[in-house]
Amino acid sequence: MKRFKNAFKILSLSFLLIFACWEVVWATEVLIGQVLPLSGGAAPQGTQIKTGAEIAVEEINAEGGIKSLGGAKIKLIFGDSKSTPDGGAAETERLCTREKVSLILGAFQSGVTFPATEVAERYKTPWIVNVAVKDEITERGFKYVFRDFNKASYDILEMIKAVELFAKETGKKPKTFALMYEGTDWGRSSAQFVKKFYPEKGYKMVLEESYAPGIADFTPQILKIKAAKPDMLIVALYTPEHVLFSKQQMEQKLYLPYGLWSVGAGSEDPTFYKAVPIKAVEFMFVQDDWDVNAPQRPWFPSLDQKTKAKLGYGLNSYVACGYGTMYLVKDVLERAASTDRDKIRDAIAATDITPQTCGRIERKVDGKTYCPALVRGITRIKFDEQGQNTFSHGMITQNQKGVKIPFWPVEARPAGAKLVWPIPPWDKR
Amino acid sequence: MNKTNKEILKKFREGEEKFLLGKIAIIFFAIIFLIIPLFVRDPYFLHIFVLVFFFAYLGTAWSLVSMAGQLSLGHAALLGIGGYTSTLMFMEWGITPWLGMIFGAAFSGLVGLIIGYPTFRLKGPYFALTTIAFAEILRIYVENTEIGPFNIPLRAAMGLLVPLKGHAPSVFQFANKEAYYYIIFAMMCGAIFLSYTINRRRMGFYLAAIRSDQDGAEALGINSTKYKLIAMIISCILTAIGGTFYAQYFRYINPERAMGLGMSIEIALVGVIGGWQTVLGPTIGSLLLSPSGELIRAYLGGTYAGLHLFIYGLLLMIVILFLPNGLNDPIIKALKRLNNCLRRYPAKKELDIIKSKS
Amino acid sequence: MSAELLLSASVMGLLLGGLYASVAIGLSLIFGIIRVINFAHGGFLMMAMYASFWLWYFFQINPYLSIIVVVPLFFFFGYIVQNTLIKPMFVRERALVVEPLGVLLLMAGFDLVLANLALLFFKSDYRAIVSPIASATISLEFIELNVPRFIVLVLSFIITGGLTWLMNYTEIGVAIRAVGQNREAAALCGINVYKIYNITFGLGTAAVALAGAAMVPFYYVNPSMGLPLGVKSFIVVVLGGLGSIPGALLGGLILGIIESITAQFVTSTSAVIFSFLLFIIVLFVRPKGLMGIIEA
Repeated sequence: MKRFKNAFKILSLSFLLIFACWEVVWATEVLIGQVLPLSGGAAPQGTQIKTGAEIAVEEINAEGGIKSLGGAKIKLIFGDSKSTPDGGAAETERLCTREKVSLILGAFQSGVTFPATEVAERYKTPWIVNVAVKDEITERGFKYVFRDFNKASYDILEMIKAVELFAKETGKKPKTFALMYEGTDWGRSSAQFVKKFYPEKGYKMVLEESYAPGIADFTPQILKIKAAKPDMLIVALYTPEHVLFSKQQMEQKLYLPYGLWSVGAGSEDPTFYKAVPIKAVEFMFVQDDWDVNAPQRPWFPSLDQKTKAKLGYGLNSYVACGYGTMYLVKDVLERAASTDRDKIRDAIAATDITPQTCGRIERKVDGKTYCPALVRGITRIKFDEQGQNTFSHGMITQNQKGVKIPFWPVEARPAGAKLVWPIPPWDKR
Repeated sequence: MNKTNKEILKKFREGEEKFLLGKIAIIFFAIIFLIIPLFVRDPYFLHIFVLVFFFAYLGTAWSLVSMAGQLSLGHAALLGIGGYTSTLMFMEWGITPWLGMIFGAAFSGLVGLIIGYPTFRLKGPYFALTTIAFAEILRIYVENTEIGPFNIPLRAAMGLLVPLKGHAPSVFQFANKEAYYYIIFAMMCGAIFLSYTINRRRMGFYLAAIRSDQDGAEALGINSTKYKLIAMIISCILTAIGGTFYAQYFRYINPERAMGLGMSIEIALVGVIGGWQTVLGPTIGSLLLSPSGELIRAYLGGTYAGLHLFIYGLLLMIVILFLPNGLNDPIIKALKRLNNCLRRYPAKKELDIIKSKS
Repeated sequence: MSAELLLSASVMGLLLGGLYASVAIGLSLIFGIIRVINFAHGGFLMMAMYASFWLWYFFQINPYLSIIVVVPLFFFFGYIVQNTLIKPMFVRERALVVEPLGVLLLMAGFDLVLANLALLFFKSDYRAIVSPIASATISLEFIELNVPRFIVLVLSFIITGGLTWLMNYTEIGVAIRAVGQNREAAALCGINVYKIYNITFGLGTAAVALAGAAMVPFYYVNPSMGLPLGVKSFIVVVLGGLGSIPGALLGGLILGIIESITAQFVTSTSAVIFSFLLFIIVLFVRPKGLMGIIEA
């Protein structure tokens, strides 16, 4: 009888111990990796994305973590891609094998994301691409790679739709264009679609010019562009070159009757606008990857303030992307209820977030509810069989007196906004 | 003439102290490296070793040119040629990289011959600057060319992504790290052995003469151009093979990283810090630099970007100022001293015999 | 291509050449006298630009005004570097065989150190000053001349003139030239060779610091910008002739014009290939360069 009692005590104690360990293991951490350029040419953007993610994680962890995992907290592990492809690939390898993360986000540059996602696919680790537009990233038949962002083709199509819209509204249509782009992956991806889509709509390319990063002087290119006399100039530049180019095209009084169209990157970076005079960017069109009307949204002030506290300047598209994607991750984790990579992968594939179906990740700020995963300004996140969020879109803005005003899509246009089309020459501004 | 040379060599080798401790040390390390994958399963750990062996291999290949007395700062170009040739042949025509490797090596050797012949007569620093110029020309060309000669797509700055075939040994792709580990280990041993053999044979002595006093060597009748070129071509061939390994291991190759000045400097760094004109120097250099560089970059790189390069630069300066022949010198000297200590007793016996005879 | 375009490209080329020349003159001096391949030249340029930038950022000092502080500062910096780092190599030379590659590698290591120190402390963000002078232009008939770039062009002439005057009409300049011509003979004449080396290196560094400060208004500052310009300086020095300061000026201007004109026919990145090709051709065909005194 006594033996029985002892056995029972030991058994129940061990069960209790196991249960306690289980609880502890259960409610620990979810490791999320991020590969970003934290040094090198794209470091400003990488730091912005990082900041957005950190703000989101602080909020999530403070508000109870992942409930379906017993309140487990998210732990972010960053890998510096150094703005290079093999840096990104090496960091991905480390995050997958050494740090054993459940999910990876990143990596801003198309040239880095393309090979790095292949490493993740090899290790069967899910990857959500935020901010890398090269189409092929989600066109390789990979199972673990998803993208909640525009493809380069989307970017260019939006620009063309804007041109068509403006032409229809004013009756004035450009005929020719020149193209200048950075000769790396992103620049070439964008250029490839410009060369494909614009001529299809009847626009003629009169000059194509690529350059390598680290260029010191754009005057040769500006001279060439002047000689070719295009109606529009389309550029794909990262921040340093965009600063240099914008200043020099102002000095040289480069006249483009139907405007300078910037595919993004540099022109979406707040540090860019700090470094150039307003006159240099007047009337420039930008394909913005986020909701430029954000300052009017209820959640803007608090997020803007948090960003300022960390970076010294306010919210921009990349901070918003970093922030939004992290809430997408929260939604995924809540549904997956596991840190297992395959379960997470399946949960991502089943995602469908709209303002109405945002319950799991909804937040309240200043009395108003909002959906943090959609702060970018899109209305739906759902991935197709290739892993692409086909509902992703951006905006086309025109810079007037230092303020970006959205003109496409029409729904985003503020009341009383007047499009300047065509652009007046320099002496008439 | 040949017979006399053979006799001299033989006497020289006999005269060499029996460096038993050195041989034991090498065998010891070789065994350790061979059995590591049996105990260590962590892929990241194995990856660090792959890096060590890879740069040791490249450094040893590079040091062959240094033994001819010239500093090359453009070796990354050869790495790129090897990697691009084998990868393009695989992507365009389905030819396995094992075969493509040979073509890459041959092409690289040809390039080495064509470039080496006119440039070798330039003195040290100018040769170095010229190698930089050639490597940059190649890199910039590839970086800006989407469709190359014969309509082969070079994909410019985007680089080549080796098609993922999973576990496919016939096309030089493996799903596990261990295979790559052993391959690069074998390559490294091969390169070291090659370097060692060259140094022990006639060519090694000719190179030594050329690098200490080229005019004097030529006065003795040594055809310096011929031997320099042979060293160069072998170096190019080995480096190109390393390029194919690089492409197959990282599965991605692009001009900026594979052909850039940064890579050339890294190869030269490993060689110089270890001992740029020695057989084992580059290996020692890589054993020191590769793991520390990788770990610093991985764990501190986020907050302290550039720290590992800063340390490399500092090490380079210290080595040049205080140990011009690299770390190889003090290590080998220390080993030799230890070796002689251990040999003291047999030597003492000989001394007694000599004393008793006198 | 129209004559107007050719003319515009040439003028742009002159401005670019002025930039190259200003940076390369210091290198030419150091090489001509001390026979040292200063691989860290780009690193010094980058540091000088950061110095000037931070003076503007924290104290709102105009970059042109900052020259007063930056140039003497870098003279001393160069002096100390030569004295502590390079002199031991020369002293060792007496005992062993001359090792010209040793100094090259030493300075290459130093350049790595400088560039990554900058990266560690200043981070990798591209910095530029924001100021009306940065974009001021002079209007010519067919092209707008950016004023700060024009100032750098003028500066290249001033530095050349100044150094040439120094070399020919001052005692210290004559001593420097003497050491450059024949070290042993100069020592026999009682000249402290090592001190002259220190001064020369300091002068070369001060020259590049001057160029750097003048570049800050229109060029962005970043830790990795030193190496490409450093390599360009070597091309200029070889083209112009090793050891000749007017040669460096001429070489820089010619290189700038060639790059600018070829950029009209091919992409600007391909134009850089021509610079390297030119470098190689000059080394093979005419190692003396355009006005060289020392042969390669």
